[in-house]
Amino acid sequence: MAHLSLKSLTKVYPGNVTAVEAADLDVADGEFVVLVGPSGCGKSTMLRMIAGLERITSGTLKIDDKVVNDVEPGHRNIAMVFQNYALYPHMSVRRNMAYGLKNEGKPKAEIEARINEAAQMLRLTEYLDRKPRQLSGGQRQRVAMGRAIVRQPAVFLFDEPLSNLDAKLRTELRAELKALHDRLRGTFVYVTHDQVEAMSLADRIVVMNAGRIEQIGAPIALYSRPETRFVAEFIGSPAMNFVEGVLGEGGAVLVSEGREVLQFDRPIGLAGSGFVVGLRPEHMKPSKGGFARLRFRRVFDEQLGADTLIHGTLDSGPTRVILRVDGALHLPDAERLEVGVAREHLHLFDPKTGLRIDT
Amino acid sequence: MQKRVTFNTKTLPYLLVGPQIAVTLVFFFWPSWQALESALYIEDAFGLSRDFVGLRNFRDLLNDDVYLASFGVSFFFGIAVTFLTMALALALASAANRVLRAATAYRTMLIWPYAVAPALAGVIWYFLMNPSLGIASYWLDAVGVDWNHYVNGDQALLLVIIAASWKQISYNFLFFLAGLQSIPQSLIEAAAIDRAGPMRRFWTIIFPLLTPTTFFLLVVNLVYAFFDTFSLIHATTQGGPANATSTLVVKVYQTGFVGQDYGSSAAQSVILMAIVIAMTFVQFRYIDRRVNY
Repeated sequence: MAHLSLKSLTKVYPGNVTAVEAADLDVADGEFVVLVGPSGCGKSTMLRMIAGLERITSGTLKIDDKVVNDVEPGHRNIAMVFQNYALYPHMSVRRNMAYGLKNEGKPKAEIEARINEAAQMLRLTEYLDRKPRQLSGGQRQRVAMGRAIVRQPAVFLFDEPLSNLDAKLRTELRAELKALHDRLRGTFVYVTHDQVEAMSLADRIVVMNAGRIEQIGAPIALYSRPETRFVAEFIGSPAMNFVEGVLGEGGAVLVSEGREVLQFDRPIGLAGSGFVVGLRPEHMKPSKGGFARLRFRRVFDEQLGADTLIHGTLDSGPTRVILRVDGALHLPDAERLEVGVAREHLHLFDPKTGLRIDT
Repeated sequence: MQKRVTFNTKTLPYLLVGPQIAVTLVFFFWPSWQALESALYIEDAFGLSRDFVGLRNFRDLLNDDVYLASFGVSFFFGIAVTFLTMALALALASAANRVLRAATAYRTMLIWPYAVAPALAGVIWYFLMNPSLGIASYWLDAVGVDWNHYVNGDQALLLVIIAASWKQISYNFLFFLAGLQSIPQSLIEAAAIDRAGPMRRFWTIIFPLLTPTTFFLLVVNLVYAFFDTFSLIHATTQGGPANATSTLVVKVYQTGFVGQDYGSSAAQSVILMAIVIAMTFVQFRYIDRRVNY
């Protein structure tokens, strides 16, 4: 297995379009790293640069301390699983898996042994002689994983491998993938736009936005301490609520357009006047207590069973707010609610730079 | 389940297919029947009388060395044109598939030869290669090749093969390009990651995936070479010298219109018809099976 190191990796497309800008990332041996971000953020381009499918404009890419910028994809000791599976349609499952090994010139017996092992691991043994078109989407994706596993690569690359599957299958395969990683102890780099996938799979998540890395960290760190407003909004579902305003009354209230939007128990001792306060829906309690309090105007409820999402706005203005409460909780049928949030669940950001402000 | 259109009246569907059937009857079945019929007769040169001779025309043909030789010429011509056309078209299409800028212009230019009428194509090559005034034959002379397709039968055959292929390449190119563009890029990338070099990728991934296109073009090109090249050959070499370029279609013309042996000419066209039917049959039978992956 191997570690992977990206040093100010940059990709500029013709026409001066910068897809990835000076990305720095170190992936440890056996680590499961997920690149996540909205479409067009450069995550796929970054993966494709690692794979060698995209030329690196500048910066260095190292696999096991060897610079591989100009090494052909086939010689980088990587394997990749594509979103659309990219199985060779004219070959059986067995030949699909054997293809790369044959190209490497491995002896027949070894190829056979590796295929059988991978097929067993992925429960594909009985499908080995089928053609890809005779398989379901989930099976095809398992074949694609099998094709990667038999190569025994230093780094596994995944490009949104579960995006083409339905929700139930996606959850199943997600668990399988996690188990697979535990079993192979391989170095995984995984691209997705789905933050739930990222949270559940990753040892570390790399959040990307507009070609830049916003934050790198363990899933729970990103959730509890997002470094930027973008990360705060991207991680967590439903997304974090944001209330913008300036501090008034010595720092005890947040005021927006002359109206109080948030009240604090005691002044938050911060310099500067403009703030964006981030509040996660699941941390907002419909009660009179709490460090920060706001008045909420309820528009409609969405009952999901375990939880209920309460959609509405600030009472003082049009800012949209979502509350997530226990599905068993019975709320009075009131239009206006008092909502409180604990001190440790407040996230403050600079409205101009979007950076986190520590309190 | 396929959706079917249902008609309320019984006559409308017949009216709709009527014109097509009428055209087929008048322009295909009737002449075919006429050919079948005249193949069984020997007619005098002025068409004043004819005698029923049964299969004698066919027997004579099969014992005629000149006719059998023209079978050979036809097959050699057909296979050579098909191979040359497809190989070059595939090479050009693979190159065009990599071109990103000006791709449309490149494609349009490659398609032009197809718009040239076969006789004109023949005349173009006739002038290019003309031993006394052709520029190409002048160049060939400069590199030591004595080009004279009026005398040299092999050169004449080569000339019509080149001319016929040149004209057909565009058509093949279009289909190959469409075929290449329908192969997902990710397959090629997957193969590259699987350590397959460009040549290996081509022969193990791209070429097998083009099989449906290749097979379709194979049949189309054979049919073209066998049956659609008359005007080209007629304008270039008239089947000569000494029947060196006399393919089966040219022979039909020579026997019927030059030799005025209508019975034999009809018998030859019946044989040609049998070949077309056989090839079409093979095409329909296998195109959906063998080539499917």
